[in-house]
Amino acid sequence: MSIMLEIENLQASIDDTPILRGLSLKVGAGEVHAIMGPNGSGKSTLAQVIAGHEDYRVTDGSVLFDGENLLDLAPEERARKGIFLGFQYPVEIPGVNNAYLLKAAVNARRTYQGQDEIDAFEFLKLAREKMSLLDMDPGFLNRGVNEGFSGGEKKRNEILQMALLEPRLAILDETDSGLDIDALKAVAKGVNALRDPQRSIVLVTHYQRLLDYIVPDYVHVLSKGRIVRSGDKSLALELEARGYDWVQEAVSA
Amino acid sequence: MSAAVLNQDLLEAAVGRLAADGLTDLRERALVRFGETGFPSVREENWRYTNLAAAVELSNAYLSDAPGAISATNVDISQLNDDIDAHWIVISSGVADPDALAALQDDGIVITPLSESNDSDQVCIDDPLSSFNAALLHDGLRVRVAENARIEKPIGFLLQDDAAATAGLSQTRIVVDLGRNASASFIELHRSGGDSAHFANSVVQMELDAGASANFVRIQERSTKHMQIGRLQARLQENTTFNFTTIDVGGKLIRNDVAVTIEGAHAVANVCGVYLADGNQHIDNHILLDHRVGPAVSMQDYRGIVGGRARCIFNGKALVREGADGTDAEQSNRNLLLSDTAEIDTKPELEIFADDVKCAHGTTVGQLDKKELFYLRSRGLSHEQARILLTRAFAGHILKKLPIENAKKYIDQLIERKLDQLTGDTDQ
Repeated sequence: MSIMLEIENLQASIDDTPILRGLSLKVGAGEVHAIMGPNGSGKSTLAQVIAGHEDYRVTDGSVLFDGENLLDLAPEERARKGIFLGFQYPVEIPGVNNAYLLKAAVNARRTYQGQDEIDAFEFLKLAREKMSLLDMDPGFLNRGVNEGFSGGEKKRNEILQMALLEPRLAILDETDSGLDIDALKAVAKGVNALRDPQRSIVLVTHYQRLLDYIVPDYVHVLSKGRIVRSGDKSLALELEARGYDWVQEAVSA
Repeated sequence: MSAAVLNQDLLEAAVGRLAADGLTDLRERALVRFGETGFPSVREENWRYTNLAAAVELSNAYLSDAPGAISATNVDISQLNDDIDAHWIVISSGVADPDALAALQDDGIVITPLSESNDSDQVCIDDPLSSFNAALLHDGLRVRVAENARIEKPIGFLLQDDAAATAGLSQTRIVVDLGRNASASFIELHRSGGDSAHFANSVVQMELDAGASANFVRIQERSTKHMQIGRLQARLQENTTFNFTTIDVGGKLIRNDVAVTIEGAHAVANVCGVYLADGNQHIDNHILLDHRVGPAVSMQDYRGIVGGRARCIFNGKALVREGADGTDAEQSNRNLLLSDTAEIDTKPELEIFADDVKCAHGTTVGQLDKKELFYLRSRGLSHEQARILLTRAFAGHILKKLPIENAKKYIDQLIERKLDQLTGDTDQ
């Protein structure tokens, strides 16, 4: 199996505060990895660093995507190569039309791949199709990006974007937080529909609950900026039963 | 720098050269009134950011050789008619094309030259710029909308001062009455006919009788050699609605005074604006919302995008007088600074003398939101694309509330062109 994402000894800080302290992780094509860990362990930072957020400074280590150094690329270049970050807190952008953004995003990817831009009719058809999969009202297309959306609606909108962009690597940052059970099922349905031997998914989550619906191949536990334990899906259940203190104690011991 | 002073003798001589007509008495009174005050100086709080020295200098030069009469200029408006569907009236140096007035036939609306309206006592000369304006009027417009009349098609005033023909100075006065329950929409479009230095001074007066509603959109796209002072004052009686939006993209020195007086309960005033400035442009928006009676609602909502070495000012004031209970007055002014050398002075003011009121204000001056930029880039949009999209959305907040649908497309394109210029500038 080919390695899609290869992170080696990654160290990153924000405002000179180190958050990631030597994190290593390999994600193969077609795999689903879950990254779990207590608050402040660096889960979101990892997601943001892979997507290219400029507030984080990488101080050491490397991140390769298809063997190419990702850290030299601008966020938009990473996106066009097929990396998608589903945000924990999707930002509201009043005045920027949701359909406009989705279409611009699809076209940015297409242009990069040397394809023609999608026409308005084709785009609408595709968007409606994906929205019905996620039980989303087509009216969302004409609203401002996430403007006035509920927490659940914002998360569905992230998954809709992912579904339209068909990324090669999707990192979903706490996509489950704040979702009721119906929304969680809809989101899981959207994610599962995208599972593919050529596509990798990294789920960043605090709770095991999501993993009942999106079953991961691997589970990693993050603590103080490093992966301290890896296993299969049973590790998530064990964590749920014993709590994060258990891994943290195990590390300190 | 010593403040430039308008030469009153030159003014008097210029007023004396104007032909005797229905405005003669008004001009005399205005001349005396102006003589008592002269132009405001930067020592006055309301004018501290806007120095009129260049305008005064230009006025003195013009007045020494001011013509006694001006005929209406022939301006081709076929393109404008395609761009904005309205009853267009061309006003050049305050003088309207008589054919356009004759052609304007709509049930319920009558527009006559001010000199023929026999009520020049209605013409306001209470402030220096209004008295200066009245003293030098060649003519003006009197607009009356009859009781219960609903005028569907907007009335458009094209203020195109032909700098080639009448270099220097122009005065425009439009006095509008809306009768009980009448409704009408007005567009005031400021353009430059030439590229010579010019100082335009316009005053619009609106009277809304009970139940009336008016939409007013002002679009200013003058040459960057033009200075312009524009005053709009509106008096609102009970159950009236006044929606005003001003769009400023042009001009060298622009000063807008909007004064809305609420004299009747349940009046609603929405006063909104967008200003886009670059180069050495100076755009100053002053708003006074005078709540004399409650309950009533007012909203001031202005947004600016400022680059280059431009300077923009927002000074919005809500005055809630004693007894104006039930007033709900809100003010918002947000600005995007696109360069280190641009300047914004924002000053929202609340003066409250009533007990039961709801007032709020907020201002911001800043750059594009980094989180929003990153979000868009993480979806594959280039930094440039994201920046332009967010900048447009920032102005779009006001544009989506534009009260006159017919003007929307034109304004969108106008803003788009100016934003291209503005967002392009910052790359250098």
